[in-house]
Amino acid sequence: MQTVLMGHLGLRRRERLINAVAYLCLIVAIVIVFIPLLWMLSVSFRPNIEVMRMPPTWLPEVFTLEGYAKIFSNPRYLLVFFNTALVSLLVTLISLFLGAMAAYALARFKFAGQRTVLMFLITTQMFPLVLLCIPYFRIFISLGLYDTRTSLVIVYLTFTLPFCVLMLRSYFLNIPRDIEEAAMVDGCSRLGAIFRTLVPISYPAFIGAGLYTFLLAWNEFLFAVVLIESWENRVLTMAIYSLMAEFVTDWNAMMAFSVLASLPLVMVFIFLQRYMVQGMTAGALTS
Amino acid sequence: MLLALKRRYREEVLAISFLWPALLVLCGLLLYPLADVVRLSFYESNLQKEVWVGFGNYIALFNDPLFWKSFWQTVVFTAFSVALHLVIGLALALLLNMRLDPVFRALARGLLIVPWLLAPTVAGMIWVLMLAPFGIINGMLSSVGLIDANFAVSWLGDTSTALGSVTAMNVWRAFPFFMVMLLAGLQAIPKQLYEAASIDGATLWHQFWHITLPQLRSVITTIVLLDSIWTFRAFDPVFVMTGGGPAHASEVLATAIYFDGFQKLRFGYASAQAMVMFLVLFIVSAFYVRRAMNANQ
Repeated sequence: MQTVLMGHLGLRRRERLINAVAYLCLIVAIVIVFIPLLWMLSVSFRPNIEVMRMPPTWLPEVFTLEGYAKIFSNPRYLLVFFNTALVSLLVTLISLFLGAMAAYALARFKFAGQRTVLMFLITTQMFPLVLLCIPYFRIFISLGLYDTRTSLVIVYLTFTLPFCVLMLRSYFLNIPRDIEEAAMVDGCSRLGAIFRTLVPISYPAFIGAGLYTFLLAWNEFLFAVVLIESWENRVLTMAIYSLMAEFVTDWNAMMAFSVLASLPLVMVFIFLQRYMVQGMTAGALTS
Repeated sequence: MLLALKRRYREEVLAISFLWPALLVLCGLLLYPLADVVRLSFYESNLQKEVWVGFGNYIALFNDPLFWKSFWQTVVFTAFSVALHLVIGLALALLLNMRLDPVFRALARGLLIVPWLLAPTVAGMIWVLMLAPFGIINGMLSSVGLIDANFAVSWLGDTSTALGSVTAMNVWRAFPFFMVMLLAGLQAIPKQLYEAASIDGATLWHQFWHITLPQLRSVITTIVLLDSIWTFRAFDPVFVMTGGGPAHASEVLATAIYFDGFQKLRFGYASAQAMVMFLVLFIVSAFYVRRAMNANQ
């Protein structure tokens, strides 16, 4: 009896030890993963002459908001924030609207070519986007839309729309159609039934798909480089890159800009983590 | 019979009326440009004129050592990124799946996802700063005595370290995707499997090999395929961090196509390269699409 109890206690102790190791490993992992982020923050708060000093120190010797001041005092940079927010928001709304319509058709009706449409949507997510740059560049020049924010809103749909359709479709499939049919029996039109029952019920899918779409649009770089030329129409990723190309040594402004560019996404993530992770996983598993 | 036919027809009309805007947008944005690239790959073209050259671009491409260099570097970049994503993602997912305090678990998961929220451009910039000769990486390495502080390494300026440095950044930024997906996969494994195994006296290592890995196989295959595709076509990390240099030591297909098209204005040649890239991705995608379609039926 005593030996059995002892063995049990040993097992408990071993389990506790393994758990302690798990905590330790995770904390170490978090520290390592945060090194680049802390370095970004640290450099954004120090004067430029301190950036190149050897050996580098983790904490700035002189604490300064100079980098942030450079961003906030320049209307050009503020415009870039506005442009990015505008483009991302429009892309998100259009993708959700068109995506929900297509998803409804795919989830609720049986029609010839359904399989083909589904396959097409999945394949589009695999497209090499750099291939599209060449024709987009030529097409938007001939349409007179080169170097406009409109062109970005249009081309971002290439990768956001298929994702929204697939994610919303898989959510709609899990919602019984009786709910809409009951509303239609009660005298709603089909559209009325959709807006009164299906859309409110599937709000988590809309938030998840919307946030992920917004993130993709906010962080996009390649199309922006190819299609935008003037400063007035630039978006964040591109402005940060040109800051690096133009003023190689203005590190505190660049890091301040990077912090400010990432902050909105991090804030949204803190509050809506659940939906965002849902969007992230759904992007991969469209089933 | 007639009624059934009418009903079916009605469904098709309804379906199409909901579907056409999205399909029209996507066909316009994908199929027409693809056809344009196919056509262009048979021409010599800058913005002013187009001259038919048949397979000329493709022949030139296969004889171009630079193309092969960027092709193989893309393969190496992809292979190392995906492998490290998987190893790190799996390790962290396993740790997060252990019996932890729920608040700590949620916090740790949230913190570890943060790099994935950053734009590749922003992440690339931070790493450029860290990897510079005066950067913190050299600082940390010299403080533990791994390198001599007076001979700081220019990680991105050296042909032997440039591609590896870009890969490191890419691993750091994108591992959370694997971690989240694998954690979801781990949480879906029935607990009874482990209980039964530990009654039979299986060690933790045995349980990992014979329960965890087989149960995760489907998730792993899917995310490895997806990540391979995404990394193979990646443009931002290389373009921002090295611009493909020095001396093309970190050139990948996406940046090579960009430079040929938009700097040298050789749109035909760039299109031919893009077609090769498209075909490679198409083959890998075929596997992914088949899996996704089966899951969707």
